Amino acid sequence: MRFILRRLGFFLLTLWAALTLNFFIPRFMPGDPVDALVVRTRGRVSRDALEQMLTSFGFKPDQNVVVQYVDYLGHMFTGNWGRSIGQTLGEPVTKLIGGALPWTLGLVGITTVLAFVLGTLIGTVSGWRRGGALDAILPPIFVITSALPYFWVGLLLILVFSQGTGGWLPANFNYDTTIVPGFSPGFVGSVLSHAVLPAATLLITTIGGWILTMRNNMITTLAEDYVRMARAKGLGSRRIMYGYAARNAILPNLAGFAMSLGFVISGAILIEYVFNYPGIGYLLYNAVQNVDYPLMQALFMLFTVAVLVALLAVDIATVWLDPRARAKG
Amino acid sequence: MRPTRILAAAVIGVLAVTATACSETKHKGGSDSNDATQSSGPKKKGGTVTIANTAGQTWTCNFNPFNPAVYNTSIGFVYEPLIYVNTLKNQAETPMLAKSYKWNADKTQIDFTIRSGVKWNDGKPLTAKDVAFTFNLMKRVKSTDLYALWTTAGLQSATASGDRVTLKFEKAAQPYFYAFAHQVAIVPEHVFGTGAAAAHPDTWVDKKPVGTGPFEVDPCSPNNIQYTANPDYWQQGKPYIQKVEYPAYLDNGPANLDLANGKAQWGSQFIPGIKQFYLDKSADNHTWSPPVQNVSIHPNLDPSHKMTSNLKVRQAISLAIDRDKVSKIGVGGQEPAANQSGIVTPTFDKYYDKAAVEKAGFDRPDPARAKKLMSGLGYSPSKPLKLKIITITGYTDWDASLNVIKQNLKAVGIDLTVQDLAQQTMVGKLYTGDYDLAYYSQQTSGPTPYYELRQVLHSANTAPLGKNAASNWERYKNPKVDQLLNDYASASETEQVAIVKQVAQYMLDDVPVIPVVEAVDWFQYNTKDIAGWPTEDNPYAQPAAYNFPDTGQVLTHLYSKSAQ
Repeated sequence: MRFILRRLGFFLLTLWAALTLNFFIPRFMPGDPVDALVVRTRGRVSRDALEQMLTSFGFKPDQNVVVQYVDYLGHMFTGNWGRSIGQTLGEPVTKLIGGALPWTLGLVGITTVLAFVLGTLIGTVSGWRRGGALDAILPPIFVITSALPYFWVGLLLILVFSQGTGGWLPANFNYDTTIVPGFSPGFVGSVLSHAVLPAATLLITTIGGWILTMRNNMITTLAEDYVRMARAKGLGSRRIMYGYAARNAILPNLAGFAMSLGFVISGAILIEYVFNYPGIGYLLYNAVQNVDYPLMQALFMLFTVAVLVALLAVDIATVWLDPRARAKG
Repeated sequence: MRPTRILAAAVIGVLAVTATACSETKHKGGSDSNDATQSSGPKKKGGTVTIANTAGQTWTCNFNPFNPAVYNTSIGFVYEPLIYVNTLKNQAETPMLAKSYKWNADKTQIDFTIRSGVKWNDGKPLTAKDVAFTFNLMKRVKSTDLYALWTTAGLQSATASGDRVTLKFEKAAQPYFYAFAHQVAIVPEHVFGTGAAAAHPDTWVDKKPVGTGPFEVDPCSPNNIQYTANPDYWQQGKPYIQKVEYPAYLDNGPANLDLANGKAQWGSQFIPGIKQFYLDKSADNHTWSPPVQNVSIHPNLDPSHKMTSNLKVRQAISLAIDRDKVSKIGVGGQEPAANQSGIVTPTFDKYYDKAAVEKAGFDRPDPARAKKLMSGLGYSPSKPLKLKIITITGYTDWDASLNVIKQNLKAVGIDLTVQDLAQQTMVGKLYTGDYDLAYYSQQTSGPTPYYELRQVLHSANTAPLGKNAASNWERYKNPKVDQLLNDYASASETEQVAIVKQVAQYMLDDVPVIPVVEAVDWFQYNTKDIAGWPTEDNPYAQPAAYNFPDTGQVLTHLYSKSAQ
């Protein structure tokens, strides 16, 4: 219990530090929202009008920084995240994030979990049957694919499955733009088919890491005394593999998994970019590009919280899986 | 001009390989298949057009015409101006919501006669009061006065009486005609004069725009805006096209792919390697990108920048650059070479003084003279002058252009270092004057070269180093040029041509900026089913889909061949 309390305290402290940095760092960034807007309106619109416009949307650069900071901290907790002052001028930030988050969670989230589960499974089996057919083929292949840059893999998949085959699979958007969203078979099918290429790209490039670490952990664990003990007791090989070896071998991977779950929310920016997928990663890219402080702040806050929560969850999971951690706490 | 071109170029690079590998190369036919159908006359209704213009965001489904982030999806489609002014055709005017107008003698007052029988798409009639209301709204809420009509232009009152609207200015306001008659979209008083829209017309979210235009929004989702034809549009029988799809492309790559495979018919961004990637894919694919402004080297003229404020150095740079080569290698010939006078040709040929450019020796690259100028200052190819030029990272065509320029300058004794900066950093430095040379495109264009020249050269648009300059970033100050530009407002049309020519002469004499290539309106179009596009022979509107209210002109000209 003390362990968990200590973790919670640490969580709060980190959160505050991250939120503070999150307020100040974008303001040190070069660029100015008004300049960005002048550029985007092709200089047609008077600068004064644009400044007035941004002020109406809540951009007050001349206000005291301390006041701004205190307001900001309050707003972060109350969910009053303001309105975008960038490319989506005037849209409430909550609405923008609300629109993009489900797509990123759906695509990147599911793919990350899938990559972890599949990778761990393959790693477990190939570690268990070291030198077997599976071990000889899969890990080397995936180690190579995981070294490929994922935007490149994305381009290659578009080239082969979308361009080369005359449009088997769609290469952009999250669903067919001519379909009105709703729970119709056409829409769901469209969402799924649009997710295939980006998901495949992510899977291909991330699964290798899980396989490799899991396989190596398995091999180390299999040499442990308690595995030999289990064998001596005459337990079934399946039980030894999952209950004794894999359960211990997975521990180091869990922390990594938590980290990658935390990063899910920031989306795979490049994936979303290559596939024109309107998720959170793309939103962040645009926010930075257009010096959209309110949107940037809210997004970075979400990323920080996501990583921190994931780490906290892993700490708790480790306590549950590993009796040694419980004893220490 | 989004800094996404590295990626776009990469996609295209990969795809271009397949284009040659597995598709038979077809060449573009000599004549447009829609030549025969250019003849005017009523057309049958039907058909759909899909626009591929990179939005860089999903749609917010806000159509507020005062919000500069979204106004180009509503003005032209749903909202309309008083008079349409065609930049590409010598300011040819098409009366829209105003049937006619009349200036007083010194051009300080203009009377518009508002067209009768025009209805808002909710059935209520358009009146002169709506027009006056629109202008007065901009006075009441400053952030909606996007073209600074009540401040810089000196608008003093906007009143309606009967079917007439009178705008009074404190000084001659002819140059602002383009802004208040052509760019301002007229909004309905019964919508913008009540409730939340009246309280905050700038931040108000206009979900279901009530306009007079040829199209209505129905429906809008984050991924796509669908416009359907307004059945009661005041131009009888128009629009012919019944549906417009406007998907939200986040990046040039996918937009260009959809153009190449025919899914979208109206393109409006740079396509690298356009011949292989787009034109060769189908005989129905065409491109015509008319130049409207300059991409220039902006030298810092402030005396603290010793080298770039030296006329001889600037002359040498301008003389050394082989603009045709930059156009050919840097931008694949898609943007024509510019000239030192700053007059964009052929769009503004009427203002171009070829003899003056020849007399000044700027009609062709002259490395020998440039070399002489540099050696007069003590520099030579073996002992070069070192200069830095800033540009935006990711603008690969600009990088390629600068590479050519670098080679040109090397030969005359200038060692140019190209510094790629993030857009915000680059623009910040440019505005505050923290650079020696900058490669940038002047943003504003207008129906005559006056608009760009005024932006670049008038001292009212500059600021001391360290402060944001509006558009005269090179910090050029010349009272004579200011005077000429001021006189333009009250001058007659022929005098205006003469004034522009005189200002262009200062461009040749003082070399305040060095135009390199001409920035164009990116436009690609597919004629398989859709005809009536603006073409070089019939430039009835600026063709890129991001130009409003020109979109309104294009949309009322297009028709479906299969529906005929």
